[in-house]
Amino acid sequence: MKSAVSRIPAGVVTTVVALLVWQLVGSFGPLHGDSFASASQAITGLSSLARQSDFWSAVAQTVEIAAIGFGISVLIAVPLGVVIGLSRFAYRSTKFTFDFFKVIPPIVIIPIAILAIGPTLEMGIFLVVFANIFSVAIQTAYGVRDTDPVLLETMKCYRMGTWSQIRYARLPAAASQISVALRLAASASLIVAVVASLIGGAPGLGQLLGLLENAGKTSQAYGVVLFLGIIGLLVSRAIVLAQRRVVFWSGK
Amino acid sequence: MEKSVNNAITIDSVSMEYQTAGGTKRVLHDVSYQVSEGHFVSIVGPSGVGKTTLLRLLTGLATPTNGSIAVRGQELHGPPQGMAVVLQDYTRSLMPWLTVAKNIALPLKRSGLSKSEVAERVMSSLEEVGLSGSGRSYPWQLSGGMQQRVSIARAIASRPSILVMDEPFASVDAQTRFDLEDLVLKVRADFDITTLMVTHDIDEAVYLSDEIVVLRGSPAEVREVVSINIPFPRSQVASRNDPQFAHLRTRVYALVRGLE
Repeated sequence: MKSAVSRIPAGVVTTVVALLVWQLVGSFGPLHGDSFASASQAITGLSSLARQSDFWSAVAQTVEIAAIGFGISVLIAVPLGVVIGLSRFAYRSTKFTFDFFKVIPPIVIIPIAILAIGPTLEMGIFLVVFANIFSVAIQTAYGVRDTDPVLLETMKCYRMGTWSQIRYARLPAAASQISVALRLAASASLIVAVVASLIGGAPGLGQLLGLLENAGKTSQAYGVVLFLGIIGLLVSRAIVLAQRRVVFWSGK
Repeated sequence: MEKSVNNAITIDSVSMEYQTAGGTKRVLHDVSYQVSEGHFVSIVGPSGVGKTTLLRLLTGLATPTNGSIAVRGQELHGPPQGMAVVLQDYTRSLMPWLTVAKNIALPLKRSGLSKSEVAERVMSSLEEVGLSGSGRSYPWQLSGGMQQRVSIARAIASRPSILVMDEPFASVDAQTRFDLEDLVLKVRADFDITTLMVTHDIDEAVYLSDEIVVLRGSPAEVREVVSINIPFPRSQVASRNDPQFAHLRTRVYALVRGLE
């Protein structure tokens, strides 16, 4: 018996239980009513959305905002983090400011972003970059600083210069830190892209969610939320798999 | 000042001080010593006496407060050409993200060797240390003794004239240690490398060295230089049974312990 139970993937059990609880609460609980969709209603709502091209273009816009924002964040934050991490002074003098910006929720700068840029795709991208850039830079700088001094001294003894030290020691040494930061940043990118669209009026799934909500299409609105959960999970999984391949030596 | 050409390293009245929170810490005082070309020299002394500090000065990683160090007549400013290092902590001095072969090839990048020459060097260095089949492994897939062999292969791949080792066998088991000692003797004979080793193991120092420098005191000074006149080639059985061996290890032990 035990072997039969242990063969079921652990995630399946909780997923089924969660869906059942959702279904029961939505059908019989105090939340039962027009404003709350049960699991089956959300799934039905999602499948009806999936047949509409508007839905898929909203998905594409949200993914575009998240992906471009994420890409720009990485392209700026990783080199910036390396430069900061190389100098003790730069690290100490930027850490305070970056930690300050890191804790500002991107949602509170939406009004400023709308004033400056307008409710556009670019505004969404800006918010995603703002949400990620400081934490990724700080994590990269931390990883670069954390490179084993014994390894760096060995390289110096073999007369390898600063560039070799970055390329062959500091960047690989920081890779685990960076990949953890990127995993968090990828999830955050998606969330911020939706929020920018929901509150800031940028195109995408957030806007669609607002429209569905106002139109009273509760089950479809819940379908959007369900869909977001699924792609969030897939993105996170994809990054974990990529991480295992890239940082294969980690923990060895 | 005229410098003798057959000195690989000249240490001239070197003193070293550190500024700490508690004031100035004097580690080395007026250390002078000449390492002859081709010699194997061990530096021994009580724990914390400043052996590793002296080694850092010799590799050019640190600069003495007073005095100077010259390698083949050239005063040291940073790590010199023709010097290779093997450190105690092989797990920290090899790169886990590179294969064994790439670890060995890395210091050769700017040597002017062609790709095929580098590959040839890597092959022959691995062969020298008895790891011919391990080039494509990662360091963490190998045992500790094998990883230290990789460090030695990396050192000889650059064809150094001077090899500096900091407690190279302190992190491996006793049997592996004997094997590595013999490997170092073989490498030194094959390539005629001047070798400097810091160790806390007196038997090992006697077994490997032409000369042993005993550091003592605080700040440390050269207490004595002991010549080891046990004939080469040495072997773990015959050399350690040589009556001279027991005599010399007792003498060095007494010097390190301050009993003499």
